[in-house]
Amino acid sequence: MSGALAQRGRLAARLPGGALIALLLALIAWEAIARLTAQSFFIAAPSAIVAHMTDHAGLLWRAFAVTLWAAVRGFVWGNLAGVLMALLVVLLPRAERLVATLALLVFCLPLVATGPILRVLFGPGEGPQVTLAALAVYYTTFLPVLVGLRAAPQGWFDLVRSYGRGRMVALREVRLPAALPYLVAGLQIAAPAAFLGAMVGEFTGAERGLGVLTVRALRALDLPATWSIAVIASAVSVLAFAAVGWAGRRLDLAPPQVLLASPVEARQSRWRGPGEALLALVVTLALWKGAMELFALPRFFAKRPEDVWAYMVSGPGAEAHRAKLLGAMAETLSFTAPGYVAGLAFGAGLAVVLTLAPRAASLTMPVAIALRSIPIVATAPLIVWALGRGAAGTIAVVAVMIFFPTLVACLHGLARTPRAVLDLFEVYAAERWRRMLGAQLPAMLPAFFASARMAIPAAILAVTTAEWLATGRGVGALMATVASTSDYGMLWSAIALIGLVAVIVHGLVGALERWVLSRTNAEQLAR
Amino acid sequence: MTFRTPTRRLFLGGALTTATAGLILPRSARAQEAVNFQLSWLHSVQFGGSYIAQDKGYWSDNGLEVSLLPGGPNAPVEPPVVAGTALVGISAADYTAAAVNQGAPFKIIGVAMQKNPFAIASLAENPVNSPADLVGKKIGMALANMPVLEALCAINDVDIDAIEVVPTQYDPAPLVQGQVDCLLCWATDLPVAMEIQGIDNVTMLLADHGYAVHSQTYIATEDSLANRRDELVALMKGEVMGWQDYKADPAAAAALTVEMFPDAGLDPETQRLQAERQVPLMFSDLTEAEGFGWFTDETVAANIETLELLGKPVSADLWDRSILEEVHG
Repeated sequence: MSGALAQRGRLAARLPGGALIALLLALIAWEAIARLTAQSFFIAAPSAIVAHMTDHAGLLWRAFAVTLWAAVRGFVWGNLAGVLMALLVVLLPRAERLVATLALLVFCLPLVATGPILRVLFGPGEGPQVTLAALAVYYTTFLPVLVGLRAAPQGWFDLVRSYGRGRMVALREVRLPAALPYLVAGLQIAAPAAFLGAMVGEFTGAERGLGVLTVRALRALDLPATWSIAVIASAVSVLAFAAVGWAGRRLDLAPPQVLLASPVEARQSRWRGPGEALLALVVTLALWKGAMELFALPRFFAKRPEDVWAYMVSGPGAEAHRAKLLGAMAETLSFTAPGYVAGLAFGAGLAVVLTLAPRAASLTMPVAIALRSIPIVATAPLIVWALGRGAAGTIAVVAVMIFFPTLVACLHGLARTPRAVLDLFEVYAAERWRRMLGAQLPAMLPAFFASARMAIPAAILAVTTAEWLATGRGVGALMATVASTSDYGMLWSAIALIGLVAVIVHGLVGALERWVLSRTNAEQLAR
Repeated sequence: MTFRTPTRRLFLGGALTTATAGLILPRSARAQEAVNFQLSWLHSVQFGGSYIAQDKGYWSDNGLEVSLLPGGPNAPVEPPVVAGTALVGISAADYTAAAVNQGAPFKIIGVAMQKNPFAIASLAENPVNSPADLVGKKIGMALANMPVLEALCAINDVDIDAIEVVPTQYDPAPLVQGQVDCLLCWATDLPVAMEIQGIDNVTMLLADHGYAVHSQTYIATEDSLANRRDELVALMKGEVMGWQDYKADPAAAAALTVEMFPDAGLDPETQRLQAERQVPLMFSDLTEAEGFGWFTDETVAANIETLELLGKPVSADLWDRSILEEVHG
């Protein structure tokens, strides 16, 4: 657990007066701003939110219970899948490229495509909500857990080997304990994401739930309702986040070890990289086609790989289709790149600040969690209002969507600084920033790179969402338009291109990661 | 969690499941055929006639057990109808035309909204009363609806380049906040929401300015039309009866809607106003003479003309009146 978070409870107990006054002042300011701007329908006053919650307590409670139950099931299935995939990769290192690629591609699938398919597969009921909640969390658990499974000193593996024991023993005795803190980070990131996933899942045609009420409230210009739902979603996410953290601390995790590993030389065959890429491509195409055939999804809305090929390359009008899609993609990428960098820098920077000044955490974390747990359809109007429909607004939406996983992962990474190293800095009475630069930042790097990889699909999804809701440009707007005119050929072509871009960027980030970690954290690269 | 697989072969599976369910649940003496009916949006009085049909047993009396499936922001109607999970869906002529142009085997078998509900909503102090008023204005809309604005401008000789289009979410906030001067929306939802919030607003119905596109249309696949006629007739019969009751008392339909869906978060006053506002869109001299849902060669021809402007060329074959003829005959 991160020191900053671990101290939250104690801090609150120590400073009840100050915190209470700050909270009270914030509420008064909020109420005043809301009342002053009531005519323009931006912000609901706390008093109006409380009144709405009391008046509609029964309705909100029933909707909350439905959404929560879907989120809990999605949380369990998604995290289970993420952990199992990480275990598979550690036990079968050769499968890493394939598993990581497939995991990334599935995470890239946008709601406009998955929504109708899941609804047709599951029919009425909560299947799509649970599935979308699971899809929202597995990737952000898979990556940190994989990092954790490798965060053990090389000497311990040598020890296991010298006793003549195999991989399973190494897994049980060395890797799993090392992965636990990273699992806690993954589960903490997953908590708000699962709830949000379940809410958004209700957009696919659900009878009830908080997501349904959100859509209704937004259209009815019912600000107290919208904000009540946002408050509930944030509160449950903050509680789940705190509960996972508490459980993590109860596990009595072993203190971080000094991880010594000899630098790794890249000694792989020239054909290994292209070979793995080709295998990943073939398996992806086979799964894509196979799954659609297995469930007998009609070609009308479930386009096969060959349909996309015809649409983009060999069929009539392919050239026009290509030009349209590539133009939109270029525009999208020009917003994604700055948003991606800004979100990562903001998340990692905030983690550093909160580690240097732990007191700020008790005020910052709830806001950070809230930003991540409220549907973007509800927050986007506020961001657009504040920053406009241009580049600033879009980049802000991306940064909001990706800074939270980065923040949590980096906080946990910083907390994995080996005690012995910190003691050394202590002995020399080193300043805080020196300790940060010399000891904590290097310890954070594996977690930071894991979040840099997590953030790739998240950034693309965030940009496409902003384009759909606010700017009306790029691939996001294109996908929304073609989905409403049944142009599923273009939709699936866009999905394929997004997947391809994500895989390429993932490869680039991975290369950078190997280059950096081979110098700072070689244990991550040992296979 | 029911896992539905939409192949023809597995239709049998669906029927079997229903049969099993029938053994457990109390059932009427007549065998009930179970069908799904895919609505185009969340439950609201927009589908009031269907709720009346359900409530008064207009379907069960005809041997049909209908499940009403709600739509949503990411729940297009066309896929479940193509896949066979829904027998009938609520679409609109422009959406259906687009889907047919992409290879979907749809027919329009009935028209609930004779007049298209699309409207330009504006605030009373800065009103848009005619298409010419749009010049120099900022309009907020979903970009997907760009062809609608283009068609309106083409029909009314308005220079579209003189209108500034701002992509917005489908909610009234951008108008109320002054980000735009007007919104392209349905006359029956966002303007009603503003009315309820006490915001003085003006709506200009596109249908009153030459925009002829059937809305809230009933679509079914050619395959269903060939092989499941009895069910289609029974379903449409219930619809016609339900909507006739609706016309007689829209307020009662609104009350029933609120009562049937306590978890939908519906506001009774909003539902009542919406119920009232959609009456003139759904009932006309034509439906008075021929019955609910009717369409003629003339109304179809007008639709084909507007759809051409929308870039969705279709032929009159898209409409099939045989089911309605059986219902009303």
